[in-house]
Amino acid sequence: MNPLELTLGIMTAVGGFVDISELVFAAKAGSQFGYALIWVFALATVGIIVFSEMSGRVAAVAKQPVFNLMRHRLGLKLGLITLAASIASNLITCAAEIGGVSLILNYLTGASYMLMAVAMTAVFVISIWVLPFQWIERVYGLLGLFMIVFAAALVAIHPPWNQIAGGFVPQVPAGLTTKELLTFSYFAVAIISAVMFPYEVYFYSSGGIEEGWGPKDMLTNRLTSILGMALGSLLAISILANSAQLFGPAAVDPEIPGTAALEAAIPFGKTGLVLALLGMLFAVAGAAVETCMANAYSISQFFGWIWGRRKKPWEAPRFTIAWILLFLIALSIVLTGVDVMMLVEFAVLFSILVLPLTYLPLLLLAGDRKYMREYANGPVANAFGWSYFAIITAAAIAAVPLFIVTSGGNA
Amino acid sequence: MRPDSAIKLVSELLDLPLLDTEGKYCGIVDDVELRGQPGRDLELKALLVGPGAYQGRLPAWVMGLVKTIAGDRITRVSMDDVETISSVVHLKRTAGELGLHQSEAAAGRWIPHRGAI
Repeated sequence: MNPLELTLGIMTAVGGFVDISELVFAAKAGSQFGYALIWVFALATVGIIVFSEMSGRVAAVAKQPVFNLMRHRLGLKLGLITLAASIASNLITCAAEIGGVSLILNYLTGASYMLMAVAMTAVFVISIWVLPFQWIERVYGLLGLFMIVFAAALVAIHPPWNQIAGGFVPQVPAGLTTKELLTFSYFAVAIISAVMFPYEVYFYSSGGIEEGWGPKDMLTNRLTSILGMALGSLLAISILANSAQLFGPAAVDPEIPGTAALEAAIPFGKTGLVLALLGMLFAVAGAAVETCMANAYSISQFFGWIWGRRKKPWEAPRFTIAWILLFLIALSIVLTGVDVMMLVEFAVLFSILVLPLTYLPLLLLAGDRKYMREYANGPVANAFGWSYFAIITAAAIAAVPLFIVTSGGNA
Repeated sequence: MRPDSAIKLVSELLDLPLLDTEGKYCGIVDDVELRGQPGRDLELKALLVGPGAYQGRLPAWVMGLVKTIAGDRITRVSMDDVETISSVVHLKRTAGELGLHQSEAAAGRWIPHRGAI
């Protein structure tokens, strides 16, 4: 294990943790429900750690990425349904990320939102074409570390730490009306979806295979999953806590992504605002790249095409055509003028519906001693895995009714 | 597992990815070809690869859609060309030698061969 590589890997995971959906839902959750939804972030973070670690272990031992397993385990018919749902979910998420990046650039430069969407899609395509895999991952991930300004801002505003700590205890705030209770439940489902987005696992396991992970990399996988995701989640919780402290009492609804940047502007002025916007820009840009690549990985793995960004674009032609086309489709969704917030809401809704189908084959394979030998899930990993499978299945069943009843949390 | 061992077709072979001798992915086991007679053991003769092999595994309307998008090509890979079966099927020859490279090669004509570090 190379300590420098490990540190970089963890930092990349931290910088790449927050995406547009987490940004939006963390800020809105804090403003509407104070610290009461922090425990949902913590719960979902443990879930994504469990499944990321599992997918990395499967990549290292069985040498198989998620979508190969999916088709083998679910069969062609159910596999195709999962693939279609996953493509739709990732495409909407990718469009939301492109929209988010364009909005942030619009705040930073004043340039037209649509023009920025076209320019940033071009930047994504060129950077993926030109740069090696690790550079792509690290450039966006490490620059996303500007998001640490949100944690610093939280410290600077001297929040009630005991109340924040209390937020980690599972709770439903007392005295909510039925309508508020439904909105609280919708936020809980949306946060689980946003933190456990399936693209993160597709991207992580495919990356592990591209980097040639083997059983010797088990510790790297475990440390990267646990530390990277946990520290990344603390950034999202900082956004929520800042919002609870600053926006909630002032009855500010952080309806647009840029509002969250004001959390850093209040204690640090213009410098804080610029750092927050830069952090958001790179974190969301990284997520745009990851969602698009995750989609191209899924399609290529499902049909057995040559895939991978370690290869030159012409060495994996169908994979290359797939990610370019997917970027263009996501861009065209943005260019229709659809509201970014609506894209974010649909992204979390679609993702939660796909989650159980994504994680079931992974869970089955990670526990299969024939493929995984001594690295198969033990009782603890199995208990965590199946418990989280039950949670995401319940969340998937509740998602659509809650979305309709609460008008996407805006009731 | 060796290709002549007893094998559970659905759980141990169907929908597994194929890897050629150069370590390149070259399709998925979309279907299999069996040979046998009443009263005799069934023998696995070949792996069938390509969208045409989805016939019978998908509803007719989905198959129609698949044909329109991807065609109905099927490539037959004899079991003699299979080295081992594990979480992937390792082949004894290259994708090009087995005729499993055509779609990838056709797509490759659209991609410029420059610009990447």
